[in-house]
Amino acid sequence: MSASREDADGAAGGIGPTVVVNRVSMRYHVPSTEAHQGLPRAGAGGLARRLLGRPPLVPVDALNTLSLVAEHGESIGIVGRNGSGKSTLMRLISGQSNPTRGAVYASSVPVMLGVNAALVPELSGDHNVILGCLAMGMARAEIDDKFASIVELSGLGKAIHLPMRSYSSGMSSRLRFAIAASVDPEILLIDEALNTGDAQFRERSMERMNELRAKAGSVFLVSHSLGTIKEMCTRTLWLDEGDLLMDGDPATVTKAYLDYTRHLTKGNVDSAATIRDEAVSTLVVTEVEHQGPGRRKL
Amino acid sequence: MAHGAEDGTTESAVAGVKVVPVSTSGLLRIGARPGFLEYLTQIWNHRAFIFYDARARVSSGNRKDRLGSAWMILNPILNGLTFYLIFGLLLNTSRGIENFIGYLIIGVFLFQISARAITNGARSVQSNKAVIQAFNFPRATLPISVNVREILASVPVLITMLVLILIFPPVEDITWRWLLILPALFLQAVFNLGVGLILARMISRINDITHLLSFALRVWMYASAVFFSYERFIDHEVLLTIVQLNPLFNVLDIVRDCVLYATLPSWESWAILSAWAFGALVLGMVFFCKAEESYVRE
Repeated sequence: MSASREDADGAAGGIGPTVVVNRVSMRYHVPSTEAHQGLPRAGAGGLARRLLGRPPLVPVDALNTLSLVAEHGESIGIVGRNGSGKSTLMRLISGQSNPTRGAVYASSVPVMLGVNAALVPELSGDHNVILGCLAMGMARAEIDDKFASIVELSGLGKAIHLPMRSYSSGMSSRLRFAIAASVDPEILLIDEALNTGDAQFRERSMERMNELRAKAGSVFLVSHSLGTIKEMCTRTLWLDEGDLLMDGDPATVTKAYLDYTRHLTKGNVDSAATIRDEAVSTLVVTEVEHQGPGRRKL
Repeated sequence: MAHGAEDGTTESAVAGVKVVPVSTSGLLRIGARPGFLEYLTQIWNHRAFIFYDARARVSSGNRKDRLGSAWMILNPILNGLTFYLIFGLLLNTSRGIENFIGYLIIGVFLFQISARAITNGARSVQSNKAVIQAFNFPRATLPISVNVREILASVPVLITMLVLILIFPPVEDITWRWLLILPALFLQAVFNLGVGLILARMISRINDITHLLSFALRVWMYASAVFFSYERFIDHEVLLTIVQLNPLFNVLDIVRDCVLYATLPSWESWAILSAWAFGALVLGMVFFCKAEESYVRE
């Protein structure tokens, strides 16, 4: 949505929030094979699905109602176990998913550096580079300028001329990263991208990411490496089972999270629950209050 | 259902609530559907993407086949041959049609162009999920680029068509009227795009429609007088009107008049065809745009 960028410039100049997450929640409906155990889906829809031999749909709350305001200059780390809603939150902020309820506002279009692979499998790597850059709204001249550096960052060498379906998953995620990292976004989202590829690529991508981070207004970083979070972030969120448990200083939050997972691995469910409750008891829930007419399109 | 929280946080004991006043006036709403005019502007800004995508995929379209792009031309030739054997020789539907071979060639070639463009346009959103997930761009560019690709790919097909008409007796003279097929083909392409946009949204929601599409296209073919003269076979008043209002029938009628019969097409044919083409395009754009924010979901 690059055409709307001019609307954002007004806010980006001053010190204001870059991302506002307002009472957002996410619920997926997924087919479940756990059919016969007390999930009687009444109504015509459930009956029809049964007759057609399709498994019934079960709602899954990936993210419970959450509000968040990111200020200019903040680097926000997100920690949590698998399935805690980290990636869901990132997808909501980047616009790759729409929330079931609530809305996300941003001062410009956030750019996600993810690890999902293949773009157009039947096209070659270099065609994919140009196509991806054009999709992000770059001009041809700009792409020609950046093309060499994108290919270099991807580290694909001659393989850039082969169709993308022949790439290994590591190769395509490297290319995907290199394309996405070619813009200088104001809001940067990084989802486990640090763990992509081999050691050599990791070093190069780290370098590029640090550059981007230095230029970006706000950074959201999802990582399982607590060291990276502490090193890179100014603020950290801890999500668990779709709930926000803590929001604060990286050292404190990562320590609490680490304690929690340690207790869980040892099987101390009760003491882990105590840590969780303690974390929640310090949480200050953000509530967004609308001012002015706004650009609410519902 | 598994988790109870419908609204509000589930936590009972949080430390407090921090109310953050936020003015969303300078912010973009992520994932929001843009206004229709803004959407058209965004598409225009992505025209380089559309043409690049279209050109890149023309060349990669038939790469899996040994004969490659030759199938673009072989396909309608073989189709025409089949129809010639069955309808021309066995069933003798050719009676009463002047230059039946030319009549048949125009019908089969032009029908194939529409059938391909509509089928591929309808699948364009579904088959490009990876690109949609990876980048933020107006999604209508995908069906548009597919249709541009089909137009580019149909140039050799059309040339073959005209060459075949000139080869088979009775030989037709090339007149200035041949130029009139260009606006007719343009209107046909506009109609294909409109229908493709409508179907693309429907299929992105309900995939089952792809199964129905091939049946619908077959019915459409029989209703377009591709290989028989409708005057001879249809006596029913309503059916006759339906055939005469059919946009593709009008394309065929105009092209046959210009190329085979050296007569000026009637203004009614042009009017009906234009109404269909621009009606479908406007309806398709509006209909497609209305669901813009939802295509990203799996």
